[in-house]
Amino acid sequence: MFDNISKTLFFKTLRYACNQCYVCRNKTTMKVIQPMTDVPFIEIEDLYFSRGDHEIFRGINMTIPRGKVTAIMGPSGTGKTTLLKLIGGQLTPDRGRVRIDGQDVHRLSRKALFTLRKRMGMLFQSGALFSDLDVYENVAFPLRVHTNLPDPMVRDLVMLKLQAVGLRGARNLSPAELSGGMARRVALARAVALDPELILYDEPFVGQDPISMGVLVQLIKRLNQALALTSVIVSHDIKETLSIADYLYLIADGQVVAYGTPHTLDANQDPRVSQFIHGEPDGPVPFHYPAETFYRDILGQASAVKAR
Amino acid sequence: MQSNIKYSAARIARLGRKGCDTMESLGRAGIFLAQSAVGVPSREGWSLWLRQMHFVGVLSLAIVLVSGLFIGMVLALQGYTILVDFGAEQALGQMVALSLLRELAPVVAALLFAGRAGSALTAEIGLMKATEQLTSMEMIGVDPLRRVVAPRLWAGFVSLPILTIGFSVVGIWGGYLVGVEWLGVFEGSYWSNMQASVSFINDIGNGIIKSLVFALVVTWIAVFQGYDLVPTSEGISRATTRTVVYSSLAVLGLDFVLTAVMFGGL
Repeated sequence: MFDNISKTLFFKTLRYACNQCYVCRNKTTMKVIQPMTDVPFIEIEDLYFSRGDHEIFRGINMTIPRGKVTAIMGPSGTGKTTLLKLIGGQLTPDRGRVRIDGQDVHRLSRKALFTLRKRMGMLFQSGALFSDLDVYENVAFPLRVHTNLPDPMVRDLVMLKLQAVGLRGARNLSPAELSGGMARRVALARAVALDPELILYDEPFVGQDPISMGVLVQLIKRLNQALALTSVIVSHDIKETLSIADYLYLIADGQVVAYGTPHTLDANQDPRVSQFIHGEPDGPVPFHYPAETFYRDILGQASAVKAR
Repeated sequence: MQSNIKYSAARIARLGRKGCDTMESLGRAGIFLAQSAVGVPSREGWSLWLRQMHFVGVLSLAIVLVSGLFIGMVLALQGYTILVDFGAEQALGQMVALSLLRELAPVVAALLFAGRAGSALTAEIGLMKATEQLTSMEMIGVDPLRRVVAPRLWAGFVSLPILTIGFSVVGIWGGYLVGVEWLGVFEGSYWSNMQASVSFINDIGNGIIKSLVFALVVTWIAVFQGYDLVPTSEGISRATTRTVVYSSLAVLGLDFVLTAVMFGGL
């Protein structure tokens, strides 16, 4: 009666919801599916990308293991979001390739790419909820377009997802009525609606108050464990990211400058790494935007006369 | 001398680059149209299309009909003062009907449509792009060209010709109100002269062909400008302006070309 995707979806979600429910969670231990070894899920090889004359990436190499939380960090403007868009196949690199589960993302036909995207979820910085649909319909959207489940089952699935992010009561609100943190949680529910294998998080912690930040951190971690997801987090919130990431990549100047577990990165002596990890205002990444010397700018000709 | 040459060379290069950019954006617009207009709509596609017909068509009805009424009334008033000098006010119905069906209804309705619906389409799609809704739709595995653009494109293409017919009908009625009810033209000659001189294929048919062309061009410009804009508040305002300016110019220019082909014996 139903297609395969609908069937697996339903059972997976039931199992997931059982792990999520607060009543159960306190009594039974959560069943965590841990892969035995690190199998690569995303492989990025020698990636070059530029916008106009501005080179954003100059030979990026990365391996993102299946079932783990991998964080990609770096100062603002290093192209972290661009990297997510390259992984999602929305941008095409100048050189190099991105393979997801063995498929070269940028060599796929438009149709094959859209099929691959059904296995991915992406959480946008703004939430990117559809403004003409309410919360319920936003979460139901992927289910409606990709499965042929009857309405009552769609309703149950949506309720389970909304329950997991704690917003079942907000189902009738429109996106304009939500706070930033709530919008991001709804977007998270929508991103996991089809139970994807991979979730890409674009700056999930930016602009969150401490409470919703804590909620999000917990949600991301729990989702990753309960659904055996592969998660990629792009962020520059060091504390939160370090607390949930299994692996870290640090990018700067268009290249990977360091990678490893949070522990190894903390001990890394590279000045670029330690400036970022310890949040020092000045260092290899300068505090000042390139300019002529301060004296000359303030004193103008007088400084030249004095120097003479 | 040398700097002069350099200066003109730079200007020529700039001109060339501008030409290349324009051609490239025309090409993008063509591919965009082909990708979004082609394809069989699903059952859900029909409901999306119907919703857009409401926003684009039904909600434009008031402005188009009211304008049609006033234009018909003005036509009758102006036409009467000229025709009465020659004792030819009996031909008022013919004049009002032909001007409306051949020229004014397709053109004015298209201009109003560009201002009322075209700008709204651009702003709506542009805002969806700026708030990453289109990107997130792509990431969910739904093609925004099919889901967002196609229903709007088809809604515009279908609704403008219908609005144009409504414009003509109300305009002719407005002409009747002023000419017959107010200025005292004989009712029988108003309608019978119109009936005798208006040809269904040459006048009504050509008017509808015109409005189909305008509908395609205006909606195409509107959705493409929305889809292709720079996603900032400044970009959205610029694209909205461009939609109205480009559509108005395209409608007026194409109207001349179409008139020359249809009625000018080209």
